[in-house]
Amino acid sequence: MVVLLAVVVIGGLVWLARLNRGGTRTDRARTDGAGPGLPGRPLGGRRVSPALMSQGRIDVCGLTKEYRGVRAVDDLSFTVEPGRVTGFLGPNGAGKTTTLRMLLDLVEPTAGTATIGGVRYADLDQPIRRVGAVLEAGAAHKDRTGRDHLRIVCQSAGIPLARADEVLELVGLGMAANRTFRGYSLGMRQRLGVAAALLGDPQVLILDEPANGLDPEGIRWMRDLLRTLAAQGRTILVSSHLLGEMAQLADDLVIVAAGRLAAQGTLASVIGSITYLGRTLVRTPELEKLAAVLGGDTVVTPAGDGGAYITGADAVAIGDAALRAGVVIHQLVTQLPDLEAAFLELTAGKAAIR
Amino acid sequence: MTALLDSVALDQADDTGTTMVRLIRAEFMKVRTTSTGWLFLTGFIVFTAMALAINGFGIHHQLYPQQGLVSRAQAVAQVAQARSPAGVAAIAASMMTSGQRVGVLFALLLGVLVVTSEFANQTAAVTFVTVPRRTTVIMAKVAAAACCGALFWLVGTVIAAVSTPLFLYSQHVSTSLAGWSVSRSVLLNLVAFVAWGVFGLGLGAVLRSQLVSVIAAIAVYVGSFGTELVFTALYNSFHQGWMLGAPVIGPAVASEVMTTSGPAFPYAPPGWVGGVFIIGYTVTLVAGGVVLTKRRDVI
Repeated sequence: MVVLLAVVVIGGLVWLARLNRGGTRTDRARTDGAGPGLPGRPLGGRRVSPALMSQGRIDVCGLTKEYRGVRAVDDLSFTVEPGRVTGFLGPNGAGKTTTLRMLLDLVEPTAGTATIGGVRYADLDQPIRRVGAVLEAGAAHKDRTGRDHLRIVCQSAGIPLARADEVLELVGLGMAANRTFRGYSLGMRQRLGVAAALLGDPQVLILDEPANGLDPEGIRWMRDLLRTLAAQGRTILVSSHLLGEMAQLADDLVIVAAGRLAAQGTLASVIGSITYLGRTLVRTPELEKLAAVLGGDTVVTPAGDGGAYITGADAVAIGDAALRAGVVIHQLVTQLPDLEAAFLELTAGKAAIR
Repeated sequence: MTALLDSVALDQADDTGTTMVRLIRAEFMKVRTTSTGWLFLTGFIVFTAMALAINGFGIHHQLYPQQGLVSRAQAVAQVAQARSPAGVAAIAASMMTSGQRVGVLFALLLGVLVVTSEFANQTAAVTFVTVPRRTTVIMAKVAAAACCGALFWLVGTVIAAVSTPLFLYSQHVSTSLAGWSVSRSVLLNLVAFVAWGVFGLGLGAVLRSQLVSVIAAIAVYVGSFGTELVFTALYNSFHQGWMLGAPVIGPAVASEVMTTSGPAFPYAPPGWVGGVFIIGYTVTLVAGGVVLTKRRDVI
């Protein structure tokens, strides 16, 4: 019996020691190899091969999620191409986070499919070597250091623990690696989230509101990083409600409102498709006469100083009509809507549904 | 694949080991890298030491009854009983499993935290995105909770194994700790620690909320001792014989029935019945936790 007990005790200790050995082995790897000295190193500029590019396409098809009769996401379909930054825009509650979580197999769709390279996330072999995700800035144990948080992900995914230090340097958190998450600023938390997403050097990056809480320098850093990654041929899908940021970052836009697709296309085409929303500033001493000749479809809104905004007719139509009627025009300016205005127009009235 | 950086680490990636082994290691890292696990262990060590001292104090009074507290005849009978072979074995077993009744609470609560801290700290999404196989993740947590329970048992048993012979020697009691009855108690103690660790994990997986799970775990553990009161009252009203053994349906009572060498309470069913109940509850909770974890959305 003593022997049996001794075997149990020693066996247990040996097993625990063996389970912990993973850490020491990779500690060694770190000191042998990629130690400090990485900060400031330029990102690799090599491009991903075309074959891998096709694995990076995101296809969302008829995606629907119902919560107790409310459709958070409603028959949503769009594609995200590799090598580009795609902005996933919508007001709060538009279903962006739910969509991204369905893409990552965290939320089960009521209907429809979401695939990456034609494969559901759950069916990917070694998913975090293919897809990196930044979901929530607050997603780490408060008592755990940033390095330990990343090492746990490495350990779970079969990535050497030394990779944690590489990505910490990459996102500029090398100095804070051994501080607990509790002491991280919101910006640092976002950087840690990005670091976790980059652990597997993935072809596809999915980021949910990554710019939240970043200072202007942090936002520029994030923009440069995502642009560089896209230039390498990676797929970047980044959700945001910050329109100004998207205008500077995105190649393509997917705009959702109330769970439905509001617009999709290149940044320019989405803005172009809504130029009808544009208005024309007219300055004339004969505003009433001009309004009368323009006809019923146009709306004239006085802007003071003898000027007025006209919608429903473009500058050419207004100029022609003015000439025919002999109306003097002092100023005629086409004002295109900015992204913000387009966004508000596309999502108007839908934000309050939930 | 183009590396973001020329990654030495990723070049050295070796995918040896199954997902399960990797996940169990990761779960150990999770416990090791927060203060909670260490606090629990420290608390457990302090508590075990205290339990040994209190237990030893009680046994000392059994062996050396104080004059005046009991009659002389009673004292003689008590000492004779305590010093009989069975009495001595019971003393040794009791010392070797000191603090079990409260000690398993540490395993239970750590088991709860292994899963609920993921939801409390919003790391569940990270965990499931890293490995989108939820049954495997939960089973790795079961293994981790079981090992944490076993670790508590190991620490408690080592402390007891060092102090018990010293105590027995000081009380002029000579017995072997290697006898079957002592070994049996120590091994059943291990079963109890493992079962409670996994029980906590299953409970946490079902309830998810850390606060609710901790309260529920303590309520279930402490409250189930109340089954004795309930069934005694029922027996007094209905006089059904089975009611006297029925308290075993309380998880904590079942655990006591399993680990106690004699009857844990008058008319207690045999030890294996307790084992069936506590293990049955544990398996049911884990199964429920797996099913719910697979079905629920991680939001």
